[in-house]
Amino acid sequence: MTRRRKVPSAVVDSPLDTRTQAKAKEDRLPSVEDGRLMTYEAGDNVGRFLALLAGRISRPLAVSMTACVHCGLCAESCHYFLTHPDDPTMTPVWKADQIRKVFKRHVDWTGRIAPWWVKAAAPEGDEDLNRLKNIVFGSCSACRRCTYNCPMGVDTGLLVRFTRGLLTELGIVPEGVFNVSRDQWETGNQMAVTEDDYLETLAWMRDEVRTELGTEAVEIPVDKPDCDVLYTINPREIKFDPRSIAHAAKIFHVAGESWTMPKWGWDQTNFGLFSGDDRLGAYVARNVYEAADRLRAKRIVISECGHGYRSTRWEGYDWAGYDQKRPTESVVVTLKRYLEEGRIDVDPSRNAEPVTFHDSCNIARSGDLVEEPREVLRRVCADFREMHPNRRENFCCTGGGGLLSMAEYRPLRLESAKIKADQLRATGAKLVCTMCHNCVDGLNDVIKHYQIPMKVVQVLELVSNALIVPPRRKA
Amino acid sequence: MPFVESEGRPVEVNEEGFLVRPEEWTEEMAKHLARVEEGLAELTPEHWAVIRYIREYYLDKKLAPMVRKMCQATGFPLMKIYDLFPSGPAKGACKVAGLPKPDGCV
Amino acid sequence: MSALLRLFENEVQIAALSFMAVVYVVRLAWIFRFKTRRDRTFAAGDERAGAGYSLMNIAMPGAMESTRKRPFFYAQFVIFHLGVAAAIAGTFIIPYAPGLFRHAVLVRLFRAVVGAAFVVGLIRMGRRLTNPVLRTVSSPDDYFALALLIVWFAAAVLAMPNRPEQGEAPLIAYFGLTAFFLVYVPFSKICHYLYYPFTRYYLGRSLGHRGALPPAVKAKEPV
Repeated sequence: MTRRRKVPSAVVDSPLDTRTQAKAKEDRLPSVEDGRLMTYEAGDNVGRFLALLAGRISRPLAVSMTACVHCGLCAESCHYFLTHPDDPTMTPVWKADQIRKVFKRHVDWTGRIAPWWVKAAAPEGDEDLNRLKNIVFGSCSACRRCTYNCPMGVDTGLLVRFTRGLLTELGIVPEGVFNVSRDQWETGNQMAVTEDDYLETLAWMRDEVRTELGTEAVEIPVDKPDCDVLYTINPREIKFDPRSIAHAAKIFHVAGESWTMPKWGWDQTNFGLFSGDDRLGAYVARNVYEAADRLRAKRIVISECGHGYRSTRWEGYDWAGYDQKRPTESVVVTLKRYLEEGRIDVDPSRNAEPVTFHDSCNIARSGDLVEEPREVLRRVCADFREMHPNRRENFCCTGGGGLLSMAEYRPLRLESAKIKADQLRATGAKLVCTMCHNCVDGLNDVIKHYQIPMKVVQVLELVSNALIVPPRRKA
Repeated sequence: MPFVESEGRPVEVNEEGFLVRPEEWTEEMAKHLARVEEGLAELTPEHWAVIRYIREYYLDKKLAPMVRKMCQATGFPLMKIYDLFPSGPAKGACKVAGLPKPDGCV
Repeated sequence: MSALLRLFENEVQIAALSFMAVVYVVRLAWIFRFKTRRDRTFAAGDERAGAGYSLMNIAMPGAMESTRKRPFFYAQFVIFHLGVAAAIAGTFIIPYAPGLFRHAVLVRLFRAVVGAAFVVGLIRMGRRLTNPVLRTVSSPDDYFALALLIVWFAAAVLAMPNRPEQGEAPLIAYFGLTAFFLVYVPFSKICHYLYYPFTRYYLGRSLGHRGALPPAVKAKEPV
């Protein structure tokens, strides 16, 4: 790592900013005091990094380290490289090599005896670790498109998360990552929303739906036991845009659902997925599972969020060491069921503008939902059209991997978004629908930056628009 | 980080267009941010009602107000906030009011 | 045939093969020392189907955008690896089933396959030396392994008629390089074929469990 690159690289050269970490230590925050939230300390960080690497590496990751044959097929699957075709440091193979070379030097065989032969090299100081931070947090959204295009099955997306986790343990993270992790540890939700704000906003949205439907019968029950559905949301819905809560409440009411939201454990998002911190991942996911236990809910329903879906439906159970007991589904699957069972009626002509669908990486590539949102959209929209490529081959919104919380990497990600912009424009649609709040903001950034005349919507909004409210459900 | 000109002075903004030092905000800055970031050619009294509320709340509590509070204080429904500031309360109104970027994936 | 050639065709091969086998066993033990973690979630798909689909990846160029968009690149891969198989087969045929190479048609077929692989090897070396991405990431092992294969293919083509009486040099080169190759492989990227079942199995099982692979196969109960 001492050889400096001769070719200019687009990797953002952002120094380590520990001001908010210092404040967290000064304020003696509980999560810092008891070592759940790690902060940067001067010292032998390289030594600690190597020890963590050797201690944490799992079999699937170890073989992803050894199996790469440097064939370069992954390069053209990555939106960072496709938009920077003259910059090899934007390829998945190069990015993965930055941690692979350390594995080869410290854990593997040939790299320990003749490192130069296999390009093995350990980091030499905090500067190198900071540079690694800029690469794995700032040049990759962990979308796993490269994973799907590798003939050997190397999972570069997972290697990036693994590396992030090592750096997070050392406090060598972008400031945004530290701040959000701190908030989620300290308050149980990603945006430091207080219980009062949460309850007040729910009451406010309940009143909005009551006004719209003209009936007092609408409820947003909180902590009601023995319901069929425990509904969990993204804190963004409380803090910035509660309309999606109103949409859900209205639809649940019309469908006659037995549902509740928990007072604690309502945050389905999970920054542990982005920071690579399984400990945080476990804590947040467990809050949701235990809320469902406490309230004896039959099913957990997750509002529209990509990384939240992947974390709560899939990875969270493994992180928390908690065997899944009850169905855990996305609200889009709930909506699909309502439509199929006739629990709600819709009029697609109410969504007349042409709509296209953006597949979220954490839902399509790392999860199971590809046809489900389409089946809903075909029923509630008059003019649904695909973008290309689509489904599991779709391109990342460029806001994934937590990038939206890291302002310093924004210019680079907006450059990488040209592909998404071209995809959107080519559909000729007026609306782009997505099942993920991060994608909403990511796509909004793309639309604003490339001046595309489109609006971003989510499935709940489109279903709510098309919803036919039967007389017995309103005044 | 980039600088923008305001009343002859350079003011630093971050990559997302938020003020790096919120204390440097002036009403002139607000007009500039509204024009450049939100595409608003001018700010009506309704815009200013929201901006002033946010600014006062922030100076008092060092936090961005919840959108509910914005609606309560100004009497505007949620839709109105979105009509006034197309990027929404966090990225639109709070930015124009000179607040720093809110934490989290937004 | 000289004693030297006989030595290379037999004892040296067996020694090299044995060494490689021992190192492979140690390497596999090393891989198995790393832990796996089981999924605790209800499946949305079929783990076995996912793993199977994933393992079949090299035989399904249409499955990945990367190979779909580069069919010529994929064809090169097929030819190259068929050449490897043929050249390895030759090192067993010549000492233990030499009758096969007395059929001119068979010799010509083997030489054609290995010769095509030789050409592909040259093309790939050209690519590795000129493509900026590959130049940036390639290590000395990447270049050396490919160079070794190219020379080995050439030796195989020359040696396969199996006529030591017309000059033993090609045969000694062929078997000498094979022995070196066998000893070198476990420490080089060449043993990627050992890792392939692991990476593809774990990826396929995980994505199969999550209903992401194979495409359009779902569990019967939506969970």
